[in-house]
Amino acid sequence: MAYSRLTLASAVLLASSVAVVAAELRKPRPVELVPSLSRQPEYCLTCHVGLPEISAAHPEQTFGCVICHGGERLALDEHLAHSSMRGGANPSDFSVVEQSCGGSQCHSGSQADQRDHIQRAMTSVQSTYAGAIASILYTFAAQPDLTARYGIAAISDEVVNTASGVAALEAFDATGFASPSIVKFGRNCTTCHIGATPADGGTYARFTGCAACHSPLGAGAPAEGNRETHVLTTAIPYAQCNTCHNRGNYDLRTMAFVPRSDHPVDRVHDYYQPIAQFVRCEYALDCIDCHTRVEAMGDGDIHSSKKEIQYIQCKTCHGTRTDLPPAMTVTDTNDISLRLAQLNPVVELSTGDRVLVTEQGEPLWNTRLLADGSYELVGKATGERFKFRPVRGSGCTQNPEEQASQYCHECHAVER
Amino acid sequence: MPRHTRRDFMKVITSYLLGLIGGLGIAGVVRFLAYESEPRRQTEFDLGQASDFPKNMPTRRDEIPALLIMNSSGFIALSLICTHLGCTVKDAPEGFVCPCHGTLYDNEGSVLRGPAAEPLRRLRTEVTPEGRLILYTE
Amino acid sequence: MAVFLTLVVGGTGILEMFYYIPTPEQAALSVQTITYLVPFGSVVRSLHYWSAQALLFVVGVHLLRVMFTGASSTPRRFNHLLGLALLVGSVLLDFTGYVLRWDQGIQWALVVGANLLKAIPLVGDSLHIMGTGGANLGATTLIRFYSWHTFGLTLPFVVLSVWHIFRVRRDGGIAVPPPALRTDHERISRRELVRRELLAALLCATVLLLLAAACPAPIAAPIVDMRELTLDARAPWFFLWVQELLRWGDPFVFGVLLPLGLLGLLSAIPYVLDGPAPAELGRWFPASGRGAQILTGVVALAVAALTVMALVRAP
Repeated sequence: MAYSRLTLASAVLLASSVAVVAAELRKPRPVELVPSLSRQPEYCLTCHVGLPEISAAHPEQTFGCVICHGGERLALDEHLAHSSMRGGANPSDFSVVEQSCGGSQCHSGSQADQRDHIQRAMTSVQSTYAGAIASILYTFAAQPDLTARYGIAAISDEVVNTASGVAALEAFDATGFASPSIVKFGRNCTTCHIGATPADGGTYARFTGCAACHSPLGAGAPAEGNRETHVLTTAIPYAQCNTCHNRGNYDLRTMAFVPRSDHPVDRVHDYYQPIAQFVRCEYALDCIDCHTRVEAMGDGDIHSSKKEIQYIQCKTCHGTRTDLPPAMTVTDTNDISLRLAQLNPVVELSTGDRVLVTEQGEPLWNTRLLADGSYELVGKATGERFKFRPVRGSGCTQNPEEQASQYCHECHAVER
Repeated sequence: MPRHTRRDFMKVITSYLLGLIGGLGIAGVVRFLAYESEPRRQTEFDLGQASDFPKNMPTRRDEIPALLIMNSSGFIALSLICTHLGCTVKDAPEGFVCPCHGTLYDNEGSVLRGPAAEPLRRLRTEVTPEGRLILYTE
Repeated sequence: MAVFLTLVVGGTGILEMFYYIPTPEQAALSVQTITYLVPFGSVVRSLHYWSAQALLFVVGVHLLRVMFTGASSTPRRFNHLLGLALLVGSVLLDFTGYVLRWDQGIQWALVVGANLLKAIPLVGDSLHIMGTGGANLGATTLIRFYSWHTFGLTLPFVVLSVWHIFRVRRDGGIAVPPPALRTDHERISRRELVRRELLAALLCATVLLLLAAACPAPIAAPIVDMRELTLDARAPWFFLWVQELLRWGDPFVFGVLLPLGLLGLLSAIPYVLDGPAPAELGRWFPASGRGAQILTGVVALAVAALTVMALVRAP
């Protein structure tokens, strides 16, 4: 055998070795993150470079990524690293929310300390869709009254605190009903609840689970890898609520959804459908500036209709002709209103401030009674300040028996 | 003088190539083995509210291990790791004694007797605006 | 070639032992550490994987050559048994190494393998405990597989290899016709042999390196629950034929008896059938050794066919 064959083979092996070494050295350096809560190194940031912090309350140095998202913390191969992630891109989807957002140290505390968010959100009407289902079944004679028996998913509630609360709901399966309208309802009309992705994307795109409200997507359709999706906030603008609300109407006869046909260019036209009637504060403020935590997230009980949970009215902030709106002074440093104000990026509250309180005792922590006796509200999403007056001492001619907002609309409604 | 054939040249070249490959291999193995797979030990310790520490009385914290004394001018933190070979020192009438090789320290950490040459290290402390005492071991 | 591959697989294995942690919680994580974080870790791991699979392949090809050239006949019959023992050892080493990944890809092979041991009458339960340390398939099993893989099987493997190679020399070297009947008289010098072996080793090393760089060793997510099936249940490639057999019925008959029967057949051939005539010893497909060749061919084709059947099956 010619000796040169050995030389050649050695040269080839050297070349291959150099190639392998070069390939190895060219690999990106692993970027380590050791979150203080878990103390276990994670390498997600090696690929996910420049990811913004998701919120001030969940800093990455404390939480890291894996504690919420799951996944293989040591893997640098995309496929393996993502293989054990919870809920895909959204760990707050209700199928996995208990492992991602729950736990006694996190968001599934007790009702006593008002930290039972997961249980509340999962039993709320926006999640169970029980109200719509009960109405349809009642209308088409499939049940004798409007008490909810079905929800989008089966769910039960061990502790029922309110008179109208229901103990359990079965999963709604439209195909089990005789009426063709109900079957059609099941086919066409069951995507407006927190567990479902909206049927059409674009401006109405939103996540499911907790992120349905708390991760407002940037304007426009969410692109793959859109950084704006990595957001958790309590400053939820009206546009996020409108991913389900104010998009159109259901036609009961054809059992189809008729989207609104206008093309609004400003806030006052965009906020509500053309058929709605509203006063100035109802479009100048965001939904969450009035609608309370209990209204939006539920009170822990399963209800049969939104009427059982919605209770805010004009008089909650404006009072009546004889009474000023109820208020309280914030004294406890651990008061819920202080904790919520601290989470919000634009509202500032301190002990000694006087805030309005609802009939059910929920503090309206973005309102304040100023020293000169006037009232101020700060928009939770915009930071805009609004001054408002109580009804008492004004020229209002309201009837004390007629306090629903439709009566206030008679005089105060805005013309578009 | 013996003539160098082409074959000899090839042999030399081959030896060099194999040597290079071997060198690369050894360098690779060394890099492979020199990787630190465990996260570094904690160097920052939150010891709680500074006001909870009794004045002028030493508090021994074995998990670090360190001794903390609060006096009029602030906190003194003494590392309880023997400067000889790293065992944790025990209390002794004179101050501290190391169970491994018998080094004796006084209450301030200076070496009284024993194989150790350096006194016990002073560690840096810091009180945060909220009043928490932070100890740094690095 | 087999010796070189054994050296590579052993050397890379020793390097991996510096990082691998044989506990159920840490095993898959330590494999991930080696693969993604340790410098050259993925190269070492892939080399270990590919040299092991190549070794099995080379051992198989060597068996075929030995049978098709009549080199397993007397006086080499005992060496033939040693070689078959080494084959079994290689397969078991490959299997134990595979299990050490402790990820969802190996889960079902482990469960099936353990239960196959139990299916053997009389000695099954003892074998099961010897192999897996008990019913739990947890920490005890893992440390036992680790011990088997690093020492329990490796030490006998090395001893048998040395013996096997020694016997080649004692039995008169590579099988060739005796000098009187030889048609070609070319012999190479010892130095030349070493050079040729070195060339083979260099080429083998190059191929292994490139293979390791291009096709990394398999990895999957760590095992979460031993009872839950997540990935599809496929045997490792060298046991696909057994997985196919097991679809036919009783585990002991099709999973233990039949494979052992094939092994027994291969072992018995040189003892039962006549070897080739001295003039044809060491030549390919000698006319005088047809029986052995046909039987070997049938066994090889059967195993290959079963493997292909298992491969084309939809998961």
